[in-house]
Parts: sequence; structure tokens; C-alpha cells
Amino acid sequence: MNSTPPSLHCVAIDQGCLLRPRGRWCIDNLELLDRLLRTTPVPHDCRVRIDASELADLDSAGVMLVVNRLRAQGVVWPNIDLVDFSRHQLALIHLVAERLDARAQPRRRTSAMLPRLGRKAAEMLSDLVAQFVFFGRIVEAFADVARRPRLLRVREFTAQLEAIGLNALPIVVLMTFLIGVVFAFLLGIQVQKFGANIFIADGVAIAIARELSPLLTAILIAGRSGAAFTAQIGAMKVTEEIDAISTLGLSPIQVLVLPRLLAIIIAMPLLTFVGDVMGVLGASLVANAQLDVTYYTFFERVKSALPASTVWFGLAKTPVFAAAIALIACRNGFAVQRDARSVGEYTTKTVVQSLVAVILIDALFAIAFPEGGL
Amino acid sequence: MTPARASDAILQVAGLHTHLGDQWLHRGLNFSIGRGEVVALIGGSGTGKSVLLRHCIGLTRPSQGKVKLFGENICELSRERLNKVRSRYGVLFQEGALFSSLTVAQNVAAPLNEHARLPPRLRDELVAMKIRLAGLPMEAANKRPSELSGGMKKRAALARALALEPELLFLDEPTSGLDPISAREFDYLLRVLCDSLGLTALMATHDLDTLWGMVDRVIVLHAGKVIADGPVKEVAEIDHEWIRKYFSAHSGYR
Repeated sequence: MNSTPPSLHCVAIDQGCLLRPRGRWCIDNLELLDRLLRTTPVPHDCRVRIDASELADLDSAGVMLVVNRLRAQGVVWPNIDLVDFSRHQLALIHLVAERLDARAQPRRRTSAMLPRLGRKAAEMLSDLVAQFVFFGRIVEAFADVARRPRLLRVREFTAQLEAIGLNALPIVVLMTFLIGVVFAFLLGIQVQKFGANIFIADGVAIAIARELSPLLTAILIAGRSGAAFTAQIGAMKVTEEIDAISTLGLSPIQVLVLPRLLAIIIAMPLLTFVGDVMGVLGASLVANAQLDVTYYTFFERVKSALPASTVWFGLAKTPVFAAAIALIACRNGFAVQRDARSVGEYTTKTVVQSLVAVILIDALFAIAFPEGGL
Repeated sequence: MTPARASDAILQVAGLHTHLGDQWLHRGLNFSIGRGEVVALIGGSGTGKSVLLRHCIGLTRPSQGKVKLFGENICELSRERLNKVRSRYGVLFQEGALFSSLTVAQNVAAPLNEHARLPPRLRDELVAMKIRLAGLPMEAANKRPSELSGGMKKRAALARALALEPELLFLDEPTSGLDPISAREFDYLLRVLCDSLGLTALMATHDLDTLWGMVDRVIVLHAGKVIADGPVKEVAEIDHEWIRKYFSAHSGYR
């Protein structure tokens, strides 16, 4: 196939010049052809004759190169005579030359620092506005449900409750139990130094009920259910299911968001409470094995050291976490565009944003109620 | 145009059977396509046109039988050889299948980046030419597929399919989802490109206007067999129940 390497000869004839391309003028030789055409000077003020008698093969890439390079040298198309081309090659040349007529190279997308910064800032601002708008639509939907409770999708709500709450139970149990064990083990080493073994119960119970269990559960749910919300709603957006819901006269917020929001708000405190119990249980094992605190003494101590108000305080934070996660996740789900990368992008966004939100809210609670429940 | 002789056939399908689910979708298909022919594959929904195209492209394997592309049986080729064959044909998928995260220009450049080692300047020049060849304005080059209309998507996908100067083009319902005006324009564009670039094309289609307007030959699939193979005029005359219904569905609406 690559028998003769392509070459180009330019000979002066009586009324102009004669170009004699040789070999394969195809895409696989494009770089070489480009060099040939650039190094062969063609006089631009006379007729140019191109003789194809020794041309082995020609494709549209080759034609493009000839047309563009000759044009760049100032040779005008009507001044070119084509000799010995086959019918197909002539058709090809005419098509390419005609299409290349109105030529404008594609502009590259600017990626300078300042415009990017500006775009990003504008994006963040519109993101924030969109978040408020979304919040408004949810409040509106809530108001509708309050007036007509039958609007609530009970089946979707219970299905979500199962997915968010029940199915997350094993992982929540495992995680908080292990955290209880680890925390008690490390704290145990410290309290042992002071001979204050019994205080293990105070430390572990308060830390788990007030901070650890709510925060860990929220982080777990943000990664597990938040990501799922965005992916589910985003995929529905891609397949136009959301538009279908709207055209049926239903509100997508009503159908998709409210059940998820309610389910996550209810599931989160429940999961957190299970987490409280498991954490303390894990700690009691360690206290019994390592610190010679019997189960009876441990739980007696927990009973007197952990006021119910601390547990309530820890649980009271969780619906706020839950609402933040659901809002962010659903909003991002609706923001998904109709392309493949978008779903992944927004799912990532959801996880990051909701983790930040959860930790921020937790910090706000700690600052606002420093004595809360203690 | 007469059916191609076996010697100069670009695509040859012989004794092809496909077992899908628990039934035989294709029961011994035989046909061949010669250089420069534009052939349409018609048949009712569910007769396996798309499946057959996927066999020909080498995405799936038939249960039995041979698919020969450029004289090589693609069912038996190693991965490297198959990839080599793959750079000799272009595919236009039904929905365009443009990469949604890339611009049109990047989409067209994608096959060039993979298979042709070109300096970026030459590559961009080539991309611009292909976009113009497919009849898109240059402004479309920097748009993403989601910003394009259905017709423009098809054109962009065509530009990508043509990027590597293929000899053979597979098209799955090239005019589906287009309005009649755009569909005819697209047909015309395809015909012009096939004639000038010397392309061979095999398309699965439902569009009767495409058949009458631009196709050299029609292959009719019915009940797992090729029941007709020839120029449109001759096929339309064949006295077979499905063919009669198919072609009269056309005149009924006129």
C-alpha cells in the first residue's frame, strides 16, 4: 500500500506552472504532504495545472491540504486546471473546495485565569440563588400538603423510609459500636492513669450521645442517601421522567422531594438513637474487659452521669442535618444536565456540600448552646 | 446496480444465525455489498436490523455464520486486527452517540487522536474541514452536544464518523427523529458524500423517502431471512405480503 512515498514536483510551463503530485495523498501521510506543500513554491500570478497521472490515491484530507496550502500561497481557485483526475476525485475536490470556501478556524475556548474566576463566582452566586428558590418551592409544597394531606405520597414515603432508615441500620450499628469500642479503649488508657476508671462511663456516654453518634450517622447518611437522591433524581432528569411528571399535572417536588425529605428527617434521629445505644454498649464491653468496671456499675454510672437532656440535644440536631442533606441532594439532582458526566459531577457535589453543611450546622449548635443538655 | 460479485465485496454476510432470548432472530442471512454501493436494510420493528448492524460492526458476534469486512472474517480476528479494521469504517449511531462532555470539535478530533498521529495544528484543520463537510456551520464546533438540535447532532456524529476517511459507513436510522425537511437534506448530504468520497454505506432505515431518494439497493429482512435484495423499484414490485404493505403504507399517506 505504501509503495511509493508521496512527492510533489513543480515545473514551469509556458503559461504557468505544472504540479505533479505522486504517490498516496491520504490522511496517513498528512504530515509529510504538509511539508511538501510548504516547501514547494508555487507562483500565484499565473495558471496552475495539477496533473494527477501519477497520483496513486487521494482522500478528503489530502484535498483539504492542497486547497488550503495553495490558497495560503495566494493561488486562486479559478486559476487551477485539473488534469487526469478520475470522476470521483474531481467530485471530491469540488466538494471539499466548495465547503472550505467560507472558512473560519474554530475559536479556542478561553481558559485564562480571570474569566474563569469570574465565571466561577457568577456560578456560585446563581447556585446560591437557585438553592433559595428551591427552598421556596419546597415550603410551597409543604403548605399544599398541610392544606390537603392526601397530596402526600405515602407509598413513596414508606419506601424511602425503608431505604434510608432500615437498610442503613446494619452499617450504623456496626460503625457506632466500633467507635464506642475504640473511644472507650483510648479514653480508658487516660482515665486509668488517674485511677478514675469509673469516669469512662461519663466520658463515653456524653461524647457519644452529644456529638459522635449524631455526626457519624449524618455523615454516613450524607454519603449513602444523599448521593442516592442526586443520582436518582438526576437520572430521571436525563430520561425526561421529571418532565413527564410535570405534564401529568403533578409537582415533581411533591412527588420526589417531599417523601425523601420527610423520610430522611424521621429516619435520622431514629438511626442516631440506635447509634447512641450501640456506642455505649461497645464502650461497656471495653470497660468490663480492660478497666474492671462491671456492666452493672457501668450502666448505673451512665444512668446518673448522662442526663436525658444531653441525649435529646444530640437527637435534636439530627433532623436539621437531615433536612440540609435532603435539600442539597435534591437540588443537585434537579440541576443535573442531560449529559453523561453531569450525574457523576452533581453526585460528588452533593456529598461534599452536605458534609460541609453537616459539620457547619454542628459547629453552630455547639456555639449557640455551649451548655446544651449538660 | 447489480448485486456485487463476491470478489470485490467490501462486506459479506454468509449463513448468519442469531439466537436471542429463546428464539432465532436471524435464520441464515446471506448478502454482500460491493464498493461504492449505498444499501438500505429494511424490515419491521424487531426483525433484527440493529442487531445485524452490530454484528457487522463487530460489537457482537452472531451465533453462527460469518461476517467478512474487507475480506477478513471479523468474528475470528484478534483484538488488534479488529481495531485496525475498525479504523476503516465509520458508524453513525441512532441517537448520534456523541460524547456529551466534549464539544463537537473535540468529538470529531477524538478518533483522530486515537488512530492518526497528527500535529495539533493539522488535526484542527482537518476537524474544521470535516465539520464543514457534514454541513455544520463553524460556530457549532465549540458547542456541546446538548446545545445542538437533532439534525445538527446527526451531522456532528457524521463528521465524527468521517474523521478517519473511512471506506465504509454504517448508519442506524440516519433520518429518525428529524423533520421531513431536515431528513431530506441529510439524505442529500449523505448521497453527495458517498459519491464524492467514494463511500460504501449500509443503513438500517424506516424512511421510505430515503429509499426512493438515495439508495442503490434494498435488502429486506423478514422472519429471520433476507426475502428481497435489489434496486428499490424491483423490490417494490415483489408480490410478498409484508413488502406490499410496507410500500403501500407510503402511498396511503400521500
